[in-house]
Amino acid sequence: MSFYQGLIILVVINVIAVIGTFLLTGMTGLLSFGQASFMALGAYISGMLAVKFNIPFLLAILMAIIASVFVGFIIALPVVKLRRDYFALTTFAFGEFLKAVLNQSVAITGGATGLAGIPFKVNIWIVLISLIIVILLVRNFRNSKFGKECLAIRDDELAARSCGIDSSRKKMTVFLFSVAVTSFAGCLYGFYTCYIDPSMFGWTKSSELVIMVFFGGLNSLTGVIIGTTFLTLSLEILRFTGAWRMFVYVLIMIILIDFRPQGVFGNWELDGRTFEKFLHIPSSIIFKKEK
Amino acid sequence: MNKLKMIVILMAMFFLLFSYSWGASEGEILVGNIQDMSAGTAIWGQNDTNGILLAVEEINARGGILGKKIRLITYDTKGDPTEAINAYNRLVDLDKVVAVLGPPTSNVGIPLASIAERKKVPVIGDFMDERATTHSGGVWNFMFLTEPCCSEQAEIAASYAIKELKLSKFAVIYNKANSYSVKMAIPFMSYVIKHGGEVLITETYLFGDTEFRAQCTKIKNANPEAVFVPGYVKDNALIAKQLRGIGVDVPIIGNNSWYVPLIELAGAAANNTYFPNNMAIDIPRFQDFMKLYEKRFDMEPLIHACMGYDNMNILADAIKKAGKLDPIAIKDAIEQTDYLGVMGKIKFNPQTHRPDRMPLVMLKIENEEYVTIGEYLAPLD
Amino acid sequence: MFLQQLLNGLSLGGVYALMAIGFGLIYNVLKFSNFSHGGVMLIGCYTAYFAFKIFHSSLFLTLLFGAISGGLCAVIFEKLAIVPLRKRNAPKIYFFVNSINGGLLSEYLIVATVGVFFHTFPDFLGTTNINIGQISFSKLNLTMLIISLITLFGLMWYLYKTKSGRAIRAVACDINTASLMGVDVNQVISLTFFVSGLLGGLCGVFLGINYTIYPQLGKLIVKGWMASVIGGLGSLLGPVVGGILLGVLETFLTAYISSSFTPILEFIILLMFLLIRPQGIAGVIVEEKV
Repeated sequence: MSFYQGLIILVVINVIAVIGTFLLTGMTGLLSFGQASFMALGAYISGMLAVKFNIPFLLAILMAIIASVFVGFIIALPVVKLRRDYFALTTFAFGEFLKAVLNQSVAITGGATGLAGIPFKVNIWIVLISLIIVILLVRNFRNSKFGKECLAIRDDELAARSCGIDSSRKKMTVFLFSVAVTSFAGCLYGFYTCYIDPSMFGWTKSSELVIMVFFGGLNSLTGVIIGTTFLTLSLEILRFTGAWRMFVYVLIMIILIDFRPQGVFGNWELDGRTFEKFLHIPSSIIFKKEK
Repeated sequence: MNKLKMIVILMAMFFLLFSYSWGASEGEILVGNIQDMSAGTAIWGQNDTNGILLAVEEINARGGILGKKIRLITYDTKGDPTEAINAYNRLVDLDKVVAVLGPPTSNVGIPLASIAERKKVPVIGDFMDERATTHSGGVWNFMFLTEPCCSEQAEIAASYAIKELKLSKFAVIYNKANSYSVKMAIPFMSYVIKHGGEVLITETYLFGDTEFRAQCTKIKNANPEAVFVPGYVKDNALIAKQLRGIGVDVPIIGNNSWYVPLIELAGAAANNTYFPNNMAIDIPRFQDFMKLYEKRFDMEPLIHACMGYDNMNILADAIKKAGKLDPIAIKDAIEQTDYLGVMGKIKFNPQTHRPDRMPLVMLKIENEEYVTIGEYLAPLD
Repeated sequence: MFLQQLLNGLSLGGVYALMAIGFGLIYNVLKFSNFSHGGVMLIGCYTAYFAFKIFHSSLFLTLLFGAISGGLCAVIFEKLAIVPLRKRNAPKIYFFVNSINGGLLSEYLIVATVGVFFHTFPDFLGTTNINIGQISFSKLNLTMLIISLITLFGLMWYLYKTKSGRAIRAVACDINTASLMGVDVNQVISLTFFVSGLLGGLCGVFLGINYTIYPQLGKLIVKGWMASVIGGLGSLLGPVVGGILLGVLETFLTAYISSSFTPILEFIILLMFLLIRPQGIAGVIVEEKV
């Protein structure tokens, strides 16, 4: 497993986590400041199942995702009813809540001392296949009728509700989907680093995920993927700047957001239409005809 | 669309820049250094690196090892395990170092353990958590810890408090969100209870907390004979100030984060504290090191500077003993280490890769100064 | 002990209130959570420290220096990260995102230039505690509490009695109408940032005196954020009251349960509070903010 492979694995895990955040914010406009806590749920549950009960890798991940969605459901019930501006604060508080729960439950999770000994199971093929599956699921979700109704809610909730769209239920569904994707990223993360502790999933990590979504483009799945890849890789590339590495990294982000406040990629998507323009081939040759 | 093209080009440039790889040139030995240089524990990482640099310069001035000069490659991890994994991979795959000097933090040390086992380049560091050097099936072959592990350190502190200071009723205040703090507090409390003492009250705080008055008030009301405060240096200083401010004057028992710069941060509040330190400060070995360090870096060395210095020297000795630049041979040589450094005598137990039963030095803070009491080891019982 | 813990809570509340008031100004006027306020506090603190080291200034001058440099820092941040977004009519949420980056930028600037080592101010106020019988109260925290109340009144006077204050309130109501009325909106926004920066720098110096000077000082702003949001919009009293209440709540949770349970209960209490009283403590229901 060379350095480049390791880096790609990390980039892809980050991308999946960001896609989870993108799903929520891009489709409902809700800003979640606690996404890292869902990564924590995924990582801890799958990690504990693997370490304490020797449950095989794939089954552990599946069980972890289901459990995280369940937790997400309980949280979402009161939270989706809140006003949009409070969602960020509440999800932030939830993130801290979960961290505190993890720190308290020393006997079960190891608390602050973390969970070590998670088997190393992640390789480049697993992550790439996961990424493709996630992309396909998300893309189809966004292009479906359900997805378009969510966009209506995002842009103007009042108008959407007057058209008969049940906004609370839609927000809840998207939230659960986003929790599933983000916790999946968390599972992969745990099986890669082989050690997790609560401090790795704090609000700083959540804010990083949120920033990457906005950097890539709120409306563009491709944008979010490319943007996150770019940011994660540039962190490594910028090592030559020595002590100024983080400063330069953040400065680049600020400048790029300044110049492209709809996200670097705005509304652009790598799909049928782009191919059409580029190659002057009707997209129906490559992609299924969209209704 | 034009902007888009620009961005794509920019990204391609980045990728090109990236595919350059390094390696050792003739006449050079490459050593990797993984530290937190910019986040919450950066003060440790930078000191550790300074200690290593001092050692590297001394060794190179004497002609290097095996006729070659050492070049240190340092990567910043920000205290993040994923950056540490990247850094280790980069050092091993791209830079092709012969060994890695690791950080004094265990949240980075533990993930390094599994990857070092796979990539077989040894790591010498000060990650006190036992899981960074051993696991349920045995030892992590490529990890080496050059100080007593946290349970041993906690027991030394507890044992000194009970047996030498004759204290028996303790209050403990520790950082529940910090593995280092938790792993000191829990063994301390079990040792106290096992040896006839009492833990009257346990208080906790979390990362980022700066106000501890609520906890201090409860501690004051519990009326202990001593308070155990095993946190990071800044938290220790604030707790000391707030404890003294509220009227708790009993002795404080500390961990090895009470040395420099604690007195600077806490002032007179630090007085009447006893803590186990990695090195004695009144012996010539340390005094000489301190003078060299202060001359080179214009500041007092923290314990981590001593750790870095000793670790680099241990590595240099091992490379010399191995006779060749092969990481596995070097690892075998490190296992045979028997070295007298600034931190004392370091000899690894081959089953744990830790210097089991290594004594620490008890220090006392009096009149805003550090006073060496002496070496101490918890008696076996 | 209850009284002592109450005083402890007010102490902590004073710290939060002082953070929240500068934060709350931007929140009220520009309708977004300005996370770079943490960075402003940090830079104010460090520049005040260097001013003190070079000039050996008194407490008052050091505070003044910190406040002014905080104000300047806030304006620089505005020019760097907010003005370009405003020019391009970016949605409010990008201001928020860029402000997080602004806060991080200050932290990394300090790490790269000054370095990561801790610094301290001397004990400006002499002995740090006032002891009356069994009760102990930190002088510094008491000062912070008083200063946040003074600045609250000072700020309200400024906003209601001066011409530029009125301009700020006009912009807070409706940016477009204000510009139609002849208000130079760009200048007013810069002024708002400057005033909030003054408060931030002041707060930063106090934090440095109380808790040591270190590069991650800015991260304390999340408490100011919480205080502002629960304090509500529509009045500046909200953030101050929110800060004090938050401090008291956290202290009581620590005192009667345990510090490690505090975030757990805080979340539940926060959730219930926001569901029951969505306008916050002192606010009015307005359109949604970020």
